[in-house]
Amino acid sequence: MPRPVPGQFVMVESAGGGLPFWRRAFSVAGFGAGEESCWLDLMIREVGPGTAFWRGVPEGTGTRVLGPLGNGFPLEEPPRSVALVAGGIGLPPLLYAARELAGAGTRCDLFVGAATAEELIDPEGCARVAADTGGVLVPCTDDGTAGEAGLVTGAVERRLRDGAAWSELWACGPNPMLRAVAELGRAYGLPALLAMEERMACGLGVCLGCVVPTPDGGHLRVCTEGPVLRGDAVDWEAL
Amino acid sequence: MSGVDLTTAVGALELSNPVLAASGTFGYGLDLVDLCPPESLGGVVTKGLSPRPRAGAPMPRIAETASGMLNAIGLENIGVEAFCREKLPELRARGAVVIVNVFGESPGDYLRVIERCEAEEGIHGYELNVSCPNVSSGGMEFGHDPILLQALTRSCREATARPLWVKLSPNAPDLAGTARAAVDGGADALALINTIRGMAIDPWARRPMLARTFGGLSGPAILPVALRMVFEVHRALPEVPLVGLGGIETGLDVVRFLLAGASAVQVGTATFRRPRAMLEILGELDDYCDRTGTERVRDLVGALEV
Ligand SMILES: Cc1cc2nc3c(=O)[nH]c(=O)nc-3n(C[C@H](O)[C@H](O)[C@H](O)COP(=O)(O)OP(=O)(O)OC[C@H]3O[C@@H](n4cnc5c(N)ncnc54)[C@H](O)[C@@H]3O)c2cc1C
Ligand SMILES: Cc1cc2nc3c(=O)[nH]c(=O)nc-3n(C[C@H](O)[C@H](O)[C@H](O)COP(=O)(O)O)c2cc1C
Ligand code: FES
Repeated sequence: MPRPVPGQFVMVESAGGGLPFWRRAFSVAGFGAGEESCWLDLMIREVGPGTAFWRGVPEGTGTRVLGPLGNGFPLEEPPRSVALVAGGIGLPPLLYAARELAGAGTRCDLFVGAATAEELIDPEGCARVAADTGGVLVPCTDDGTAGEAGLVTGAVERRLRDGAAWSELWACGPNPMLRAVAELGRAYGLPALLAMEERMACGLGVCLGCVVPTPDGGHLRVCTEGPVLRGDAVDWEAL
Repeated sequence: MSGVDLTTAVGALELSNPVLAASGTFGYGLDLVDLCPPESLGGVVTKGLSPRPRAGAPMPRIAETASGMLNAIGLENIGVEAFCREKLPELRARGAVVIVNVFGESPGDYLRVIERCEAEEGIHGYELNVSCPNVSSGGMEFGHDPILLQALTRSCREATARPLWVKLSPNAPDLAGTARAAVDGGADALALINTIRGMAIDPWARRPMLARTFGGLSGPAILPVALRMVFEVHRALPEVPLVGLGGIETGLDVVRFLLAGASAVQVGTATFRRPRAMLEILGELDDYCDRTGTERVRDLVGALEV
């Protein structure tokens, strides 16, 4: 497998090819390669049969993994500084991006949103990854049980209003959150790059099931033209 | 590979092997070239083409089901002009066998696509998708009305000397009647089946899973239905070449369709789960022939013992 770019994903077979019928898409959260093998880090939130499958599977269970797929974040020309905005299980591609950017001189401030303190994923690890880039971790919870109370995009907006000078906003999470980041990007004149998620049958561009509407009345395939799309490339009203 | 002869023919069209990519599941033949080169297949059937580009249906367009899936893509496509300019040259250079899948809302739409394609080399035939509503006759699907279907096939027949296939809908009330109508209209072969109309419901949201409410069911769930229909049409019209499809996942599935009377098959949804599925299937077919002493794949066609 070639080295995945952060934001790229893999399609993973569960239950040995039986049910569920489709493979499942997971963002690459980390990657390493040895002489003859490589490993992939995935972080999976259990929401249904295809994700539940991985709870308690015996070590050494084989499966088929297709990837890396999609475009990923533009790491060849890294921004000077970036706000990484993660909602829930949107964290993996941004964590991987921050790790990959650590050597590139890009400051990454990592905003992580969750419903409750309990649902925050590995805050110590996230803080370390952000610190390695010279940035900070800003945890946010809906119920205020940890970090700042309220929406993660609210925390980003407060800092923008106070003059935070990021050169780009990168985000991954539920669509309403991505839309809010796209609007922040427009309001503050910053490119917003959003790793999107849609139901996928193939992940390869041939089923046309994963499209999102564009302002010109067309579509983009999340699996091939994305998953990383510019905020202004999506028609949020029509989505 | 062993010495098995994998070639077959659908009417006058000779194919290097019996496995074609089904319409709407393999893009325009070039999306997966590294994983599954189109020239290694018996042929590729393009995504359905209309005279002008179409944006297709709103989201969500797909839903997973037990052993299959529903789709309501709404026939999104780049239009015949872009296909001829941007896709066909590479398909031609690769030596792929190209069947253009055609659809429309009026007979004129079908004719416009075929007439544009007639100007191009490297198109080996047409497959009419007749599971579309005919706007001028109140939205009745062409494939549901033998009279409409025969007239549509006849006008397409007059526009081309290339192989002309009609893809039958499993939702038509009278399968044998529509099959006969297509043949009487001048079809060289029949492809069957298209997807089966269905729906899925999200119990928590209490809403349909698809924006269009209904979608077409595909995948292994429909294989027994497809097989029965191929067998029935073959029995009713034994001289008519058939292309079988619906739920094929393995080389043995191909053998099943050939035995039921198909001269070739198409593979659709299997490619979504395994992009190399068609190549794996060809290997399995070769292996089956080898093990059973079948020297020529065409000897399997219609060889069901009943
Ligand atoms: C590009 C991409 C990257 C992803 N990365 C990750 C990741 O790193 N970690 C992770 O845990 N999950 C990730 N997902 C989401 C993951 O694919 C879904 O959670 C999974 O497909 C659900 O399968 P299931 O069988 O467990 O649940 P299902 O029974 O299929 O669905 C359960 C619930 O999840 C929703 N859902 C299903 N598929 C998706 C989807 N593709 N996106 C959003 N919601 C969905 C359904 O609407 C339903 O409410 C990603 C999705 C995409 C498209
Ligand atoms: C996502 C999707 C898109 C399809 N698009 C078309 C199409 O444009 N024209 C057509 O004739 N059939 C179309 N089909 C039907 C397939 O070509 C095929 O008839 C059907 O899926 C059954 O085969 P399968 O079970 O191997 O997929 C489509 C099927 C799927 C799943
Ligand atoms: S998931 Fe099939 S085209 Fe994107």
